[in-house]
Amino acid sequence: MGQVLSLIKDYFGFLFVLICLGLILFYIYSDRNRPKINLRDIQAFKHFRREVDLTVEAGKRLHVSLGRGNINDLQGGAAFIGLSILDCCARAASNSDRPPVTTSGDGVLTILSQDTLQSAYHTLATEQRYDPTNARLTGLTPMAYAAGTMPTIHDEHVSANIFAGHLGSEIALMTEASERSRSLSVAGTDSIPAQAVLYATSDEPLLGEELYAAGAYLGAGPAHLASLRMQDILRWVLILIMVIGAILKLLGILP
Amino acid sequence: MKKILPIANAIIAVISGLFVLLGYFFPKVFGGIQSVLIGWAIILAAFALLLGIFNLAMVHWKKIGAEGPSNINSIVLLISLIITMIVVSFSGPTGSWSLWIFNTFQLPVEISLIAVLAVILVYAGARLLSRRPKWYTGLFLVTVLIVLIGSVPLFFIGEIAPLNALRGWLAQVPAVAGARGLLLGVALGTVATGLRILMGVDRPYGG
Repeated sequence: MGQVLSLIKDYFGFLFVLICLGLILFYIYSDRNRPKINLRDIQAFKHFRREVDLTVEAGKRLHVSLGRGNINDLQGGAAFIGLSILDCCARAASNSDRPPVTTSGDGVLTILSQDTLQSAYHTLATEQRYDPTNARLTGLTPMAYAAGTMPTIHDEHVSANIFAGHLGSEIALMTEASERSRSLSVAGTDSIPAQAVLYATSDEPLLGEELYAAGAYLGAGPAHLASLRMQDILRWVLILIMVIGAILKLLGILP
Repeated sequence: MKKILPIANAIIAVISGLFVLLGYFFPKVFGGIQSVLIGWAIILAAFALLLGIFNLAMVHWKKIGAEGPSNINSIVLLISLIITMIVVSFSGPTGSWSLWIFNTFQLPVEISLIAVLAVILVYAGARLLSRRPKWYTGLFLVTVLIVLIGSVPLFFIGEIAPLNALRGWLAQVPAVAGARGLLLGVALGTVATGLRILMGVDRPYGG
């Protein structure tokens, strides 16, 4: 018994990843014939979808800010969500006179955003619209990134900004620029202090795991919906484990 | 070829990702290949940075050609970039001239932006009630005020002990509980994102 417990303890992380993978695969398979899955209403995505349509009609531009997360690090998770959003935006705004512009604060992220844009245009057979300067590196330090991104928000006919990636408190400078240029700002980040800042400064803040639901809400595919359901289930499991743990500790059963 | 390349990209990315992930759980078996792959990733990231700087220069070169008030900014940026690159390549990254450029230009500008950020946050806090007139906005602002007043001694009054205690409780109990809840959501989201990339569903590498 002790050996089994020790093995579980050693490989719990691997087991957890396998459970997550199993749940995602299960939901992709089980939901493949379901016509529609109802999602909780998130105002930010609702407003953003509407703004994308208005942007295309008005011949304006979308701006996707991917932050400065290094993809070799934990911060890369939020940056990858930003890239999924960029892909959705590039497809949705493919008819617009002005293609979406993206800013990032990391060299790898800049190249990945160029690849994402090129791939989206290639799929839509509109490769001639691809311009590598629409995916930009604007600064490598937090403040340099904010300072480099603000002119893009001000000067390039942007009507909606989505900030999705690893961003710190400097995001307030960019949401303020968005406010001044009267464009919508939808913002989510993996940094907890920055989320508090976003609550006060952004039109539509995405708090906690809402950022990671972006793909499911913007129609990025069944895998995004399946992973959202996996997150919901595991969140409840974790809550249950924590509550049971707290009760057992109160009763003196746990040390 | 146009079809083979994206598939090959995806296979390479998925296999590399799997080896790196397995390296964390089974370091004795996959630790070696994991460190080799991470080493390669770091070298590629350095080249990506150079390409990113080239991209930055291209964007501003294009802006110089276009009419508008941002022309001057772009000219200043390109001249600064060239001068900095020349100085740093002769003086070295920690040379006295390189440090002079950093301490004289970069540091004061960034500190000024932090000061502007403080003003923006105060202004945003004051504007919050009109932007989101909800009860939890009031709670947010009251909490901010308690934490601010409880953090510093006031003129003529000094420290207010009950406010100090309340600030400590707010920072250690509800704030930590909320932050942990948010972090759990972020962690689950990160795992889901990583798994989608490992499954080859999300391909941000042009696949």
